[in-house]
Amino acid sequence: MSDNQPIILGKDIGLTSCPTCHKVTCAKSTHCSRCDAPLTVRDYSSVQKSWALLITATILLIPANIYPISTLTNQGRVTQDTIFSGIAHLVKTDMIPIAIILFVASILVPILKIVGLTIYLSAISFKLPISKKKLMTGFHIIEWIGRWSMLDLFVISLTVAVVNMGQLLDAKPAPAATAFALVILLTQLAAKVIDTRLLWDRLEAKDDSSTNA
Amino acid sequence: MGKEAVDSSITLCRSCDLVIRKRALPTGVRAICPRCHTSLYDTPYCSINGMLALCLTAIFFFAPANLFPVLELEFLGSVRTTTVIEGALSVYHQGYWLVGIAVLTSAVIAPGLLLLSILMQILIVKYGLSSPSLKTVLKHALKTQGVLTQLTMLEIFVISFLVAAFNLADFATVSFGFGTFCFTMLFVMTLFLMREYDLEHMWSYLDER
Repeated sequence: MSDNQPIILGKDIGLTSCPTCHKVTCAKSTHCSRCDAPLTVRDYSSVQKSWALLITATILLIPANIYPISTLTNQGRVTQDTIFSGIAHLVKTDMIPIAIILFVASILVPILKIVGLTIYLSAISFKLPISKKKLMTGFHIIEWIGRWSMLDLFVISLTVAVVNMGQLLDAKPAPAATAFALVILLTQLAAKVIDTRLLWDRLEAKDDSSTNA
Repeated sequence: MGKEAVDSSITLCRSCDLVIRKRALPTGVRAICPRCHTSLYDTPYCSINGMLALCLTAIFFFAPANLFPVLELEFLGSVRTTTVIEGALSVYHQGYWLVGIAVLTSAVIAPGLLLLSILMQILIVKYGLSSPSLKTVLKHALKTQGVLTQLTMLEIFVISFLVAAFNLADFATVSFGFGTFCFTMLFVMTLFLMREYDLEHMWSYLDER
């Protein structure tokens, strides 16, 4: 912020914005006058919910990467691929661009999302002095890029449907697919439930003062 | 306390609760929160008729995109084709029902509901704002809009055609079907529709009258 305007928050002047339709209403009312959604000035339980979802997702990330995600039968020979070995195979067969897309979508994005959300939630829960602006930028990126992890599941569903010729050539999904789907679902929910206004409240004393002064 | 009429020139940032005084913006400019850089609002204008045209075109492509095969594979003389729905169902029938439901929801059900919901919203805004029951319908449609938009993943599915084709080109001859074209068109139309669509603006129709 270049100008030195005093920071006035909605809760200071008795106003709150509806979480569903963003209408600005008086903080005294319990429900939004336009869309009837329940109003909260700050949703403190959202941090707990988000932690719970995030921890579950982190645990599920392990089976998602250890177990095979697809089984391929090629002329009687059965091979099982984990997320990583599938990408390694693509690199070996010189399909680097596809390998990069899959690496980013299935390995990098889930890990970055979990690490990013952990830092974000820690900053709120333990009041870590990390720049709020950087955290918020990271959060917006996580929100936007998170859905791209679905790519691997779409590819598997198309492959399974089209490759089904018995012993000759046959593709099937394997257990990691469900774990991976859950990782995506839970991390997306963890990012969605959190009330970001809490971050901006709790670190009010420290942080960006250094950038302003 | 009894401050019923809230000053309409003031808005609050939904990410950090900062009080912001609204200003008129030129077309194509978006207001961003000075504190946390969340986008707040842009020009409160969206062409209802333009949206109607885009929405109808997208709906027109929806059926062929899901009925015609999107991927064809030829291996030692035998040919296999699949549609998007068959892909989701084949995973479902292998016992991976969660994956199947996720694929079906994000590629077929959510886009379909989203388009129908937007069509309904447009028609209500154009012709039915005077009826209170239709206004309630509009309200519920707008409340589910955010979830439907998040669940719609057409763009990712279009990329997955390419990735799947390259993956399989190793073993067999792969070609795209008529469905691939329709699905891509469905994606493009939905993309432009969602660029035109403005949720804040749609909500404001409920305030008037």
